Amino acid sequence: MPRPTWSRALCVGLLIGTFPSLPLHAEEIRSESMLANTCAGCHGTLGASAGEVMPTIGGLDKGYLVEVLTDYKTGRRPSTIMGRIMLGYGDQEINAIASFYAAQPWVSTDRVAVADQLAEAPALHERYCESCHQDGGRSQDKESPRMAGQWAGYLQYAMQACRDGERCHPRKMRNRVADLSDAEIAALAHFYESQK
Amino acid sequence: MNTLTRRNFLQSSLLSTAAVLGGPSLAVHAATPPKARVVVIGGGYGGTIAAKYLQMSDPEIRVTLIEKDSAYVSCPLSNEVLGGERDLASLTFDYRGLTRRGIAVMQDTVVEIDPVQHFVTGASGNRYNYDKLIVSPGVDYDWAAIEGMSEAVAEKIPHAWKAGKQTQILRRQLEAMEDGGVFYIVAPPNPFRCPPGPYERAAQVAHYFSTHKPKSKIVILDAKDAFSKQALFQAGWEEHYGDMIEWVSGAQGGIIEAIDPETRTLMGSFEEFKGDVINLIPHQKAGALAQTAGLANESGWCPVDQRTFESSIHKDIHVIGDACIAGAMPKSGYSANSQGKVCAAAIVAAINGEAAPAPSYVNTCYSIIAPEHGISVAGVYRLEDGRIVDIPGAGGVSPADADARTRALEQQFALDWFRNITSDMFT
Repeated sequence: MPRPTWSRALCVGLLIGTFPSLPLHAEEIRSESMLANTCAGCHGTLGASAGEVMPTIGGLDKGYLVEVLTDYKTGRRPSTIMGRIMLGYGDQEINAIASFYAAQPWVSTDRVAVADQLAEAPALHERYCESCHQDGGRSQDKESPRMAGQWAGYLQYAMQACRDGERCHPRKMRNRVADLSDAEIAALAHFYESQK
Repeated sequence: MNTLTRRNFLQSSLLSTAAVLGGPSLAVHAATPPKARVVVIGGGYGGTIAAKYLQMSDPEIRVTLIEKDSAYVSCPLSNEVLGGERDLASLTFDYRGLTRRGIAVMQDTVVEIDPVQHFVTGASGNRYNYDKLIVSPGVDYDWAAIEGMSEAVAEKIPHAWKAGKQTQILRRQLEAMEDGGVFYIVAPPNPFRCPPGPYERAAQVAHYFSTHKPKSKIVILDAKDAFSKQALFQAGWEEHYGDMIEWVSGAQGGIIEAIDPETRTLMGSFEEFKGDVINLIPHQKAGALAQTAGLANESGWCPVDQRTFESSIHKDIHVIGDACIAGAMPKSGYSANSQGKVCAAAIVAAINGEAAPAPSYVNTCYSIIAPEHGISVAGVYRLEDGRIVDIPGAGGVSPADADARTRALEQQFALDWFRNITSDMFT
């Protein structure tokens, strides 16, 4: 095993000591679009997803995106593949990706409501969701993503995963969805999908 | 050699114009001379993306996409056709979405590239002048690597490694096979298109056999001693299909040297294998155009500057997708997508007198083992000392101990991967 030379160790130590925010590799800064366009193969061009479990991300709140992407990276938000991917990006890069997608126009799905699925949905929305997800799920901030026009497949998965204790963002969401049945979650998901 | 006469030049301009007359962008083309002309050859996972992202990031560039077919049939997810879960129509796309964006899509077969005078000649006689050329030709086959194989023999012993007619031939042979038959998949050596493909194919065919011909066997004769997502595949095969699938590594005698197509007999280094149906996936190299245009080196693949995908051999010609040598990136649809975007950004920068931007590349690839069992591999890459390298700690395969819900979700994500990557290409 090669021994580290003093000069190199000293040099690295000095660098880290002097500029704690520098990455270990001297890298060029990659632009927002360069970083973000790699996501489009799964999330659609400019983040407008073609469906159904893959969410639309273009036009979501920047603070929300930063938090979710960071939580994927740290593992705080469990995932199938996003955790593995986000480990490839530094904090500045996550910020750049979030900025890019937050600046895109929101594109709602073209799905329309199916009446019998939705009969009870408005009452459920009012009772459980509206205090945070206002204006039929169109409002958004760092804690509450836009749901109007989002894919029902994704919304259904997100609510079920939260109810079943897998992941909630934010944690208080858990209390809201805890008592919902699968049918009620499906009704809500299709209700939000049909809002544009 | 070709010489570009003024008459030819004019003729080509007129023809190109005529062919896109219906397009909404023609007024822009006709009214103002383009800032630059970029020609893209090949309308697959790489070429469509390069053309679209060029047009999106600088609409003043005139982008022409030349594709030999009027419709595209996706190779990703075509194993599901073999498994009986979908038909080819669900994998078929046209180019109208790109035309609507203002890209001139020409159905033509490129017969020659003149890298000195910067033009491309089509079989139609049409000439396409370019300032920058992007070539995304996919793969071609090295028939000579296995004695007795040829393009003609592939009509009977299909590779099904480009989707369409070949997929149909193989599906029909599997349908016609009697229960209790043996299906051989001959897997090629590295590098080749879609590294997990042969092993997903075994699973998809096993899915079909298990419900229709449960006494049948599937044997993979491999030129290699290891393969992509190996542990996940082997566990998934066993979980869903018991001992129906057998894998023979190169060291165990899986290397095939010759074939007798009449008797459907494969000659290995130790023994012979007689199959009821044989899917021989040939050794591969960069697509034919890359070979004839002198873009490939002695390896059979195209060396490029991995920051811009500009050919190391010919200036102003870029090679993307399966055909190029792209460091740590596998030859996959998502890699081609990612490379198309990096290449487009580099060309836009060059045309506008700027330095090539710092690149970012990603690969994600799903395989469907059973209707509720998907697995994935991801890679995140950066450029280091001129070479595309894995970012340490990122990427990798699905966990070995994932629960049933995760496997089912990954299968759904596999289908969404397809919906989204094809919408990225064709809308």
